[in-house]
Amino acid sequence: MTATTTLPAPAAPSRPAARRSPAPAARRRAALEWIAVHTVALAAALFFLLPFVFVFLTSVMSDDQAMSGELWPHEWHWSNYAEVFSTPGFADWWRNSLLYAGLGTLFTVCSSVPVAYALAKFRFRGRRTAMLLVISTMMLPPQVIVIPMYLVWAQQLHLSGSLWPLIIPMAFGDAYSIFLLRQFLLTIPREYLESARIDGCGELRTLLRVVVPMAKPGIAAVALFQFFYCWNDYFGPQIYAAQNPGAWTLSYGLESFKSAHSVNWNLTMAATLLVMAPVIAVFFFAQKAFVEGVTLTGVKG
Amino acid sequence: MPRRTASLLSVLSTCALLLAGCANPSTGSAEDDPTKPVTLRFWHGWAEKNEVKAINDSIARFEELHPHIRVKAIGNVTDATVNQALRAGGDDAPDVVSSFTTDNVGQYCSSGMWVDLDPFMKKTGLDKHRVFPTALLDYTSYRGEQCALPLLADAFGLYYNKDAFKEVGIERPPRTMSELKRDAAKLTRRAKGGGYERVGFMPNFRLYENSPERLFAQWGPSYFDKRGKARLAEEPAAREFFATQRELIRRQGGYGPLERFRTSFGDEMSSQNAFLTGKLAMHLDGEWRGRSLKDAPFAWGTAPLPVPDDRPETYGRGFLTGTVVGIAHSSTHQNAAWELVKFLTSDTDQVVAFANAIHNVPSTKAALASPELDSDPAFRTFLRIAGNRYSSALPASINGGQYVASLQDFGYAVESGRVPDLGKGLRELDEQIDADNLQAQN
Amino acid sequence: MAPLTAAPALRRKAVRERLRTLGFLSPWLIGFTVFFGYPLIATVYFSFMHYNQIETPTFVGLRNWRYVFEQMPLFGPALWNTLWLVVVMVALRVVFGLGIGLLVTKVKTGVGFFRTAFYLPYLAPPVAATVAFVFLLNPGTGPVNAILGNLGIHAPNWFNDPAWAKPSLVMLSLWGIGDLMVIFMAALLDVPREQYEAAELDGAGAPATFRYVTWPSITPIVMFAVVTGVVQTMQYYTQALVAGKLASGVSVGPGSVIQPGYPDHSTLTVPQLVYSLGFQNFNTGAACVLSLVLFAIAMAVTTLLMRRRAGLLSAED
Repeated sequence: MTATTTLPAPAAPSRPAARRSPAPAARRRAALEWIAVHTVALAAALFFLLPFVFVFLTSVMSDDQAMSGELWPHEWHWSNYAEVFSTPGFADWWRNSLLYAGLGTLFTVCSSVPVAYALAKFRFRGRRTAMLLVISTMMLPPQVIVIPMYLVWAQQLHLSGSLWPLIIPMAFGDAYSIFLLRQFLLTIPREYLESARIDGCGELRTLLRVVVPMAKPGIAAVALFQFFYCWNDYFGPQIYAAQNPGAWTLSYGLESFKSAHSVNWNLTMAATLLVMAPVIAVFFFAQKAFVEGVTLTGVKG
Repeated sequence: MPRRTASLLSVLSTCALLLAGCANPSTGSAEDDPTKPVTLRFWHGWAEKNEVKAINDSIARFEELHPHIRVKAIGNVTDATVNQALRAGGDDAPDVVSSFTTDNVGQYCSSGMWVDLDPFMKKTGLDKHRVFPTALLDYTSYRGEQCALPLLADAFGLYYNKDAFKEVGIERPPRTMSELKRDAAKLTRRAKGGGYERVGFMPNFRLYENSPERLFAQWGPSYFDKRGKARLAEEPAAREFFATQRELIRRQGGYGPLERFRTSFGDEMSSQNAFLTGKLAMHLDGEWRGRSLKDAPFAWGTAPLPVPDDRPETYGRGFLTGTVVGIAHSSTHQNAAWELVKFLTSDTDQVVAFANAIHNVPSTKAALASPELDSDPAFRTFLRIAGNRYSSALPASINGGQYVASLQDFGYAVESGRVPDLGKGLRELDEQIDADNLQAQN
Repeated sequence: MAPLTAAPALRRKAVRERLRTLGFLSPWLIGFTVFFGYPLIATVYFSFMHYNQIETPTFVGLRNWRYVFEQMPLFGPALWNTLWLVVVMVALRVVFGLGIGLLVTKVKTGVGFFRTAFYLPYLAPPVAATVAFVFLLNPGTGPVNAILGNLGIHAPNWFNDPAWAKPSLVMLSLWGIGDLMVIFMAALLDVPREQYEAAELDGAGAPATFRYVTWPSITPIVMFAVVTGVVQTMQYYTQALVAGKLASGVSVGPGSVIQPGYPDHSTLTVPQLVYSLGFQNFNTGAACVLSLVLFAIAMAVTTLLMRRRAGLLSAED
């Protein structure tokens, strides 16, 4: 039942072939295999990396050259980036993306941890049903329930044109996060909790003093996922924020950026890189938690 | 179990409560005093720098005339956004709204989202028939309700490359569909290896402004009968139009090669526009295109689009559309909003200045006759098209532009040869349009 | 009712425990009722109403249902595209992800570089990745076809060709394979090494080793990847919408009637149609009917998944 939380060991000698004193034929075969594997890997790396390179090169071209299909910039127009930043609204999109992703993550974690804890560690009737419902919600495409939800936010609460209809629900638990956290909490041995209880801790204190510190890696992974979910979300802002340009996020604004700058592929590519940049930066800072989180999703029972 | 029943009941009653509240959101009023200080929110679609500057200049002139009214303008707003915001209501909803297309006027009027402007015109003594051309009044009203007014118009005509015409020995732009077919074939130059160097007149519906209703307007078709049912299958013009389009495709090398050539074109609004780069000898487009052709490396001219061979007297007609502006039903400052609408649409100096600034066709009779207008002959062609009595716009529909979308889809199917029986296809198209319209009705 | 004879202390404890559980679960209980239960019921309600989000809703019986199933021309293509993507995209993603995962475990030099390189695209926000791909694959002005043209390859029109638009989307999704790669990589490294050694001693070749050693131990992960892939693909929205919109080249301009799913509805998915009906045509009833269709498909898949378990629920400690 263990959740696979171990990091894949880097550079583990995963093939047993290359040990023992090999015969010359075997060595030649190993060399050939090395060449074959690394050739394929290089080709794959080109497939994964070249788009970034092209996007970057285009982002520093002049307007006209960006539409020429040429690869190398004649002149390096670094000012394109400055121009993107000076586009009316671009700074607002940044602020809104941060607000949505920041608050959304905070709310999700705070509301999902206790639920996940109850589902993982409490015994009560209907626990299985509750878990089934959580998984069902997780499976459900958001478009299924969006229309009545939108009508409530827009017509009863008059909150459309802002990101609040997206942020507020996150204070009430997020199925995916609950599920992941529960899987993680299952790995915490019951004895720790028992001993905390014997020490006289109430459930809430047990959760805060014992469970949360032990579950840090899981919480970090869930937080990262939620942050990226919000940052990347396009559907939500399209539904709720479209009518108010002041509430657009980067992901939503980028698409309209192309509409308004239909001729400036160079600027669009610069903006594209600027939308990608924070995610990639966060990745390099939080690489460990991230890979761990992705692995966590692949838990087997 | 009683507990469960109780909780279920409470859930259901909550739902009922929420659903019951789903009536019309907020309603505005026309009780305000337009001489009191007020701030209006005005949404428009202009996004390019010089266009935004032009509309802001207009607003500045308005604010000078009405010092107590402040206008907060938001640009780059699409129809979908306007639609959604007016339904949602709320504090950020606009007072004055505009749309780049006439498509949704039927929807705006019939649903009451844009208020009827006739009472305001009566109150302030504006005779719309004296001020606006009839065709423009038609496309801003639905079943007699004038819920919008035109704010500049767009007319569609033919741009042609004079150098290319000279090269193949054609003296003047084509006036009939037969001449168009003949000239187009003559102007087309194939490249070695199967492609094209230049196409005479690319009829493919996906090219830039080529949406089917534009060229179709040269036949002056009627889309609906008196009861509002689609009648394209009974409209002889529909068959002729599609036959002409396919003939144009056939004579210039076929759909596949033309489409392949089309997808190699650069963006419409860029310096890579295919007419500007000489890849198209004749081109259907609106009056605004002229501005971006100033630096074209060849001589070019404009003319009305050709007409069917048997209707030569209608030569000079063209497809009309335009930006429309109105007042949101949720606005609580409708009298002040009307002052802005009135100024933008009917003040002659304003209409002329704005038309010159963004190179559009002015939308009042007085402005059309103004000597202040841009005198560039290439532009003047479009003024004449706008004034031609045969020129027509799309009829408004309760369902917005959906029937146009259906027509476009049908057009794509026809041009790519996926409609073997045109008559049957048109009957199905009619059925589709009727079904969609019925679905939109109560 | 708890038996009255029970000691009051015990009963108090039971009540307290129940309250405690409720307390911990309360955020989700509220969230589930308000943001899931209510809208679901309301969706059913609206599917029988005519409601343009302006006038009061009126009851129209089955009209919306008939309209969607019999008269709406876009329903067929949307359903077909979604199913096509569910089958093709998920299958290719799993195969490709497994391949890349295997490759990473075999690489010996520059492991860090390759892992990062393969993983990076997964991080690109979907809108940004799609914008980039539409530009790169633009037949007229993009670099990819320019390069292929120089090599003498007759390149397709990618996002502008109805036959190639969906494959182009698949390619975009393969580019972002990072998540599956990491999962498979972890699973592959979890395969007990002794089993490989035993296979080697038996003289098994690479295909046999994969078939009899690797595959059995990674099947649960493959199952998991398939299931989550299906769920994600049923929601497929952003990339298809952005690709269609940008490739069509239609920007806000005079007379912009945009049908979703350019070209020829080849990229129109069910979620897009829900949006288009509900928030562009304001055909609330038909949009809700379509929502329920999507719900039915999603529930069918979920039920299937619960039966196969696929490792999602088994951990009951």
